[in-house]
Amino acid sequence: MTALSPRRRGPFHRQRGAWWLFLLPSGVVLTGVMLFPLGYAFWLSLHNYDLGSGSRDFIGLGNYAELLGDERFWNTLLRTVAIVMTAVSLEFCLGLMVAYGLYRLTFGVRVLNLLMFLPNIVTPVVAALFLRWIFIGRWGLVSGLLISWGIFPPDFLGDPVWARVTVVLADAWQFTPFMILVLYAGLNTVDQSQIEAAQIDGAGVWTLLFHIMLPSIRPLIVFVLAIRLMDAFRFFDTLYVLTAGGPGTATETITLYTYALAFRLLQVGKACALGVLTLVCVAMLVAVMIRVVYRREKGAF
Amino acid sequence: MQGFPVNRRRVLGMALAAPAILGAKARAAGVIQMISHRYPALEHFAEKMRGAIPGVAVNTQLMPVDKAMELATIALSSKSDTPDIVWASDTTFQNFVKNGWFRPLDDLWAKFRDEFKLDDYPDAVLAPYRHEGRLYVLPHTVNTMMFFYRSDLFAKAGKTPPKTISEYRDLAKSFHSPMRAGTISCLKPVDAAVNEAHWYLNALGDGWFDKDWHPAFNTPKSVAAIEVLKDVTRYAQQGFTTAANDECTIALQQDTASMGLQWATRAKSMDDPAKSRIVNLIEWVPPPQGHARIAGDGYAISAYSKQDPETLFRIIATSSSQASMRQAAALLIPPRKSLLDDPELAKANRFYPAALASYETGMRAPSLPEFNAIGEFVTRRILQGVTGELSVKQALDTAAAETETFLKGHGYYK
Repeated sequence: MTALSPRRRGPFHRQRGAWWLFLLPSGVVLTGVMLFPLGYAFWLSLHNYDLGSGSRDFIGLGNYAELLGDERFWNTLLRTVAIVMTAVSLEFCLGLMVAYGLYRLTFGVRVLNLLMFLPNIVTPVVAALFLRWIFIGRWGLVSGLLISWGIFPPDFLGDPVWARVTVVLADAWQFTPFMILVLYAGLNTVDQSQIEAAQIDGAGVWTLLFHIMLPSIRPLIVFVLAIRLMDAFRFFDTLYVLTAGGPGTATETITLYTYALAFRLLQVGKACALGVLTLVCVAMLVAVMIRVVYRREKGAF
Repeated sequence: MQGFPVNRRRVLGMALAAPAILGAKARAAGVIQMISHRYPALEHFAEKMRGAIPGVAVNTQLMPVDKAMELATIALSSKSDTPDIVWASDTTFQNFVKNGWFRPLDDLWAKFRDEFKLDDYPDAVLAPYRHEGRLYVLPHTVNTMMFFYRSDLFAKAGKTPPKTISEYRDLAKSFHSPMRAGTISCLKPVDAAVNEAHWYLNALGDGWFDKDWHPAFNTPKSVAAIEVLKDVTRYAQQGFTTAANDECTIALQQDTASMGLQWATRAKSMDDPAKSRIVNLIEWVPPPQGHARIAGDGYAISAYSKQDPETLFRIIATSSSQASMRQAAALLIPPRKSLLDDPELAKANRFYPAALASYETGMRAPSLPEFNAIGEFVTRRILQGVTGELSVKQALDTAAAETETFLKGHGYYK
């Protein structure tokens, strides 16, 4: 292989320079709307910044130490992980079943896809208000229906167990369509020759799904789970409207705690520290998930 | 005549300066921004503000109280020049004033005293809105919690309205059934739960704080008071831990609860056939043993507003004029003497006598700038006690320790 002459190398190098120019606008936007706020939040987290008392002293990692020794932090973190895991698992299982059903369907797929996606495009607060009127005790839609059938309804939002179930169902109702859409698109990318070969070998519907199709779309599964995990960890609007963290602290998550710190107690520094800790937790969770899914493949990510 | 020399440098300079100059002028004469909590009476005042001065545009943003406070806190803590007019209550304004976010109104009050008949406001109404002798809020409503009860159910059972909280508990028990709760209970954190706990703590316990701002809500008497609250919730409507004023009002209107404590501003809606199934069946008396929460709403001017303060004051004062308050009299208790003493209004609004009697026996929230913040973790603990996550004593002791730490961090107990 002959080396390129300087004359021929010139335009190539100039082109490489041009790539950076193409990246510049998005880089500027990302820095402005993501990296700068993140850096500023981290900077604030190192301060005892309290809007109530007006103080803003540098305290290093003081806020982090205080939070890590705070019972409320650990309780809300564990509760968040439990709610997120339950909700995302439910969404994935439901999403996969429906996506596979759609994949095998021979007509009406587009219409069904569109209809099922509707909950996902409703603004979360509006969706939460709908759900509140549906699940509220005695005069809510579900309670009203159950009473009309002679069944006395449970207290969906007032009983700790039911409140958690309702919150998970609410999240699943809104975000399962996203899973369906992505998984359905993924299933359609699986190589037809593999499927046909498996069918010739006598593979049934479930064998096809679990042994041919799912392994083929594993990167997509990791992607969709990671996106939903990150998103579900930020679960706030629905919870705030549906239960406000109650009854007691049954549905109080880490985002509700962050909100309380920032806007109720006005402890902005501590709230920023909690935000950074949440980011670390989510990153760890996603890293663990990727490691579990790709545990046998070195350097997959 | 010496002409104006136009060269490339001058044109460039003008082009650069124009946005700043025009922007400043546009901002000064631009739309006036108002942020407020939302309920029918405040919607009326917002409408009056929008039409207060012909040619002056007022954008009124009304939202739930938490959101309004959140937005105002973010804007004012960053010294933003919007909003210009901010809703305030007797508990929220103190922290804002302490941080220097509101402008004192005394000079404007003196200037517009005659034009807007400001002497019509009783001193007792203005007092909660003063800080270190200066007035910061122009009051629009006086509000008090009253005892709402179903006269038909009481008559059928041969009962009379309760005189004590103990009688109230017994009545709640006797009226309780799966289809209709014995009482409403509004324990959604934070504000609704503060209101309800306020009544029990002050009527049966030792209140929120002692004179040195040390917690008094965990004394043996106060613990017993919250135990009574917990006991009463056994007869409350479903979902009471997430119920605020709206949910409690609807529970009464939809005939799913028999009685309970609610704000006077909700009374008129009980007789609205479009919303209520119990028109003319609700009566009102002062809360048993008094000491229920009294409060009020008003509007303040941001210290960072670039708008003309006289224009802002005129907008606020126009919305709270006698004429405006008379129109809204069914939705609130007007804070003006001339309207409070008006027999015609009292006749037209059958809840007025009970509201005024409740006001006489009621009690304001502690005048502590940090009270709203403290309410966050105290109500959280109270709810843990009520729902059985912790014992009531353990919950209140924990809340007291958290309060001491918080107030110490804010310079108390030196």
